[in-house]
Amino acid sequence: MTQTLRPLVLGLAGLLLASVAAQAQESTVKLGVIRYTTKEKTNGVTGVGIPPGADASVGDADTLLFTYEYSFTPSLGVEFVLGVPPKIKADASGSVAFLGEVLTARNVAPTLLLNYHFMDPGSRVRPYVGLGVNYTRFVRIRTPYAWDVQMSDSLGWAAQVGVDVAMDKRWGLFASIGAAKVRSKLVATGATVLQSTIDFKPITYAFGASMRF
Amino acid sequence: MTKIRSWALAALAAALLAACGGNDPEVAGSGEPAGAPTTAGTFSAIVSFGDSLSDVGTYAPATSITGNGQPPYLGGKFTTNGAAGTVWVENVAATLGIITTPAEVGFAGQSVHCPAAANPALANTCTAYGQGGARVTDPNGIGKATGALTVPLKTQIANHLQRFTKFRDSDLILIWSGNNDVFIQFGAFAAAATQIKTDAATGVISSDEAGRRLFQAQSAAQEEMKKAALELSGYVKDEILAKGGRYVSVFNLPDSASSPFGASLPADARGVLSTLVDTFNLWLRDGLTGVAVQIVDQNTKAKDITANPGSYGLTNNSVPACDGTIIGALTGGRVTDGSSLFCNTTTGAPFDALRTGASVTTWQFADSVHPTTGGHRIISDYVLQQLRAFGWIK
Repeated sequence: MTQTLRPLVLGLAGLLLASVAAQAQESTVKLGVIRYTTKEKTNGVTGVGIPPGADASVGDADTLLFTYEYSFTPSLGVEFVLGVPPKIKADASGSVAFLGEVLTARNVAPTLLLNYHFMDPGSRVRPYVGLGVNYTRFVRIRTPYAWDVQMSDSLGWAAQVGVDVAMDKRWGLFASIGAAKVRSKLVATGATVLQSTIDFKPITYAFGASMRF
Repeated sequence: MTKIRSWALAALAAALLAACGGNDPEVAGSGEPAGAPTTAGTFSAIVSFGDSLSDVGTYAPATSITGNGQPPYLGGKFTTNGAAGTVWVENVAATLGIITTPAEVGFAGQSVHCPAAANPALANTCTAYGQGGARVTDPNGIGKATGALTVPLKTQIANHLQRFTKFRDSDLILIWSGNNDVFIQFGAFAAAATQIKTDAATGVISSDEAGRRLFQAQSAAQEEMKKAALELSGYVKDEILAKGGRYVSVFNLPDSASSPFGASLPADARGVLSTLVDTFNLWLRDGLTGVAVQIVDQNTKAKDITANPGSYGLTNNSVPACDGTIIGALTGGRVTDGSSLFCNTTTGAPFDALRTGASVTTWQFADSVHPTTGGHRIISDYVLQQLRAFGWIK
């Protein structure tokens, strides 16, 4: 997966560099709220002493969202998205459901997207689509059990569809739905070693205000 | 300003690229030992440490037929005792043309170190330290309360260093310890589990709470197994390798759940028994990762023997070959658990505790956990095969 992403990242970087030479167009910042929902799938939780059918499920999380977009043509822009790292919680499920909440962590998930904006720049309503990469790092991993938990970083595709609604030349509103590939290998070391690979399959719903300058 | 922003984004993209290197978390117990010798040794001693599986006769006086500690003995080894009733250590030694004798013999507070030294020619042969009931570190092994010496691995090694000062290149050092830690921790878990299940059945606690408590009890037992395994690997590094040991092989533990004892347990308890064995083996491997030893994987071998007894010449791997009722009668009712320590299969009175129809060669188990003569032969064949694979013997 990492290999297939490299050309994409390089392409994005190339576009960014190319844009340096172009005339400055405009920048947009957005502030909003985002709900992070997961349709996560794991390969189960395995380890010595862990009964077959052990699993964990990850709950939803809400947080604040900040984005910065640099438009280098009227319809193309590169957007950097960062949320205040939300606290995600994992509950044991399957044959070990009685363990309850087994893990909390915060995910720092910067995302870089190349957006295409439909309609003319002056339009009141401008839908957009974006494709890019998401990098997710899990920090402040906590567990009530005596485990040392490590989670690998994730690098994967990200995509979004959204709409901007201009209030005036400077201010506007936006709403977007995003998806990304976020996959992490989890290793919990205690009296035994637990392993799981979690495919978070996040879907995000965001809305908020935008300002152009 | 615009340029700076763009460069900042480009730098971020580069940082993302850099971050995509493999950063999978380390998984304990997934490594290998490294640096053990690869050339054949010239051995003059087999130095074996461990428990009843490696015991070449520590408790023989306890099986005195007259009861005064003097021969004749009913048994003395945890197998089908008799003229040909050797255990794996003796078989390996015999194959290499080396004599090995018990490091200590005695019972109930009385013991003699290196009894073979009564013959000066044998003074250096008493390097078989395995004692029935012995644990890795805790001197309170199984049977200690009723007289067994149960000198733990830690002290067995210290005793060798005291007598021989150091380990030598000519020592073939074989370590197989931890089984009794499994049984002790399993016993502690089983006692806790019985109480938890009673509480759940009588409505004192919910079934979820019972699940949590069982998990905690199991985790506590696993924690103790981890501790024992890391202590063992620590002794190997600090007390054997650091003190001259060169040809050092550590055996992991077979799954006791496959023994007649394991088969007698309810399925869930049997699973916990396997878990404790696996936990020990996992941390033993972790503790020996990068250490200059060779591991003999008795666990995998034992699973194969259980699955394919016929390929090892076995016709029965579920019933003890020793008859507990006969052992009880021969010992005047003293021994009620059918322990093979007291099982002598020599035909005729005052011996012969062999179960009707049983065989000391084609039946695997002598009692609920210990191998017969044939069972020990399978173990020693495997050990010799591994020693050849390591390049240590021809």
